[in-house]
Amino acid sequence: MKRTQPPPSHEVPAGTPPDRDSVRQETIRRIKQLRHKSNRGLWAMALFIAVSIVALGDFSILPSLPPSVRAILGKAPSAIMISGALVLYTFSAIILVLARMMGGKEEYSGFAHVGYLTAFYGFYHFAKALNENYWAVFVAGITILGLESYHIWNFCNEAIRREQEILDAIERFRKS
Amino acid sequence: MLKSFAAKATVPPAIAVTGFVVVCCILLYSVIKTDMLNDAIQHETNLADTIVKSARYAMLKDDRETLRNIIDNIGQQKGVEHTRIFNKKGVIMFSAHPEDVNKLVDKKAAGCIACHAGTVPLTSMGRMEQARRFINEEGHSVIAITVPIYNEPDCFNAACHVHSPSQKVLGTLDIGLSEEPLQKTLGTLRGRMIVFCLMVLVLTVGGVSALLLRNVLLPIKELANYVNAINRGDLNRKAPAYRDEIGELARSYEELATRLKATQDELKQQRAAEGDGADSRV
Repeated sequence: MKRTQPPPSHEVPAGTPPDRDSVRQETIRRIKQLRHKSNRGLWAMALFIAVSIVALGDFSILPSLPPSVRAILGKAPSAIMISGALVLYTFSAIILVLARMMGGKEEYSGFAHVGYLTAFYGFYHFAKALNENYWAVFVAGITILGLESYHIWNFCNEAIRREQEILDAIERFRKS
Repeated sequence: MLKSFAAKATVPPAIAVTGFVVVCCILLYSVIKTDMLNDAIQHETNLADTIVKSARYAMLKDDRETLRNIIDNIGQQKGVEHTRIFNKKGVIMFSAHPEDVNKLVDKKAAGCIACHAGTVPLTSMGRMEQARRFINEEGHSVIAITVPIYNEPDCFNAACHVHSPSQKVLGTLDIGLSEEPLQKTLGTLRGRMIVFCLMVLVLTVGGVSALLLRNVLLPIKELANYVNAINRGDLNRKAPAYRDEIGELARSYEELATRLKATQDELKQQRAAEGDGADSRV
């Protein structure tokens, strides 16, 4: 019985340029990924607006916490302390986003900010000061998420432009 | 438009400065409002204590006519929405609105529930807990204060022997003042803060954008137009004259254009010379 030998392995010799079609496919895939990524900011913004709509009624549509849980949580911090924390948080978040823009980093933390801002809504709700300070949290959220959205959108667009240049170079080589 | 150099330079700082200034103004207004409200409650509580002290002698002498006059006079003051004295059972004994006299007030009503929430009513409360805010039947915003009228030795030792020594609270004074002056002040404060906010934003965002436009964006646009002209073949065009880094860049491009023109001229001369040489050989 004849033994079937495995076909010879397709060894790529050193110095061979990569296959243009595979590079093209890879570039198109990266462009698609970047397009999805650039919309992340909008999703975070939409989530924040949804949370804000619930907070607008002082969380009245949600069931209130049972007294036992409230007792465990203890006394709420004072409204002025929460406001001070909000100012510091807004300031540092803006500085961090601007620093990332300056450094050209891809990092995006919009959804984390939605979490932090929801916590601020919660703190004000427990301190019974949400009605007076609602718009402060809302404007802080729109500012921070707006900057994050602009940053990621800008970053992705620049990356897409660079990938597009690769595609254009491949097309030019093909035509020549 | 948002991808342009101008947008990248102005949109992030504009959003950051605008957002931060607005957040700080809203929080500052909220803090000032709370402080003003607390001051108003403090002032009302002092007023209520003054009324109780003023009516003390009339109550001690059981002079109901004088006490009724005191309550009526206070009720006629501008800004006073209601003034009334309850007895221990919650019946309104004296009021600036005569139709309220002898009415029984529910212990669960606002202003009463704070002390009567438990099985044993409280006999003392903090200043802020004594206050409540609501909109009355006439549609006016009211801050109301409820202060207890405590039993004293002069009361339970009086000849009429009405009150026993064990009774700690004889009744309650409830006074409501209009919030309108406070709301008016807050409205004025709000307006001033909005104007201040707008001025700050116009100066910072507008000023920075204007300087950026004048010193960076317009020169870069001019430079871009110059380089495009070179690209189209216009090598004799003069570079924009600036003294800063953009000017350096412009001069470098001008030198490149000059060298390119010189190289092109050399090539033309070479081709012309080769052409003449070939003709003469033929």
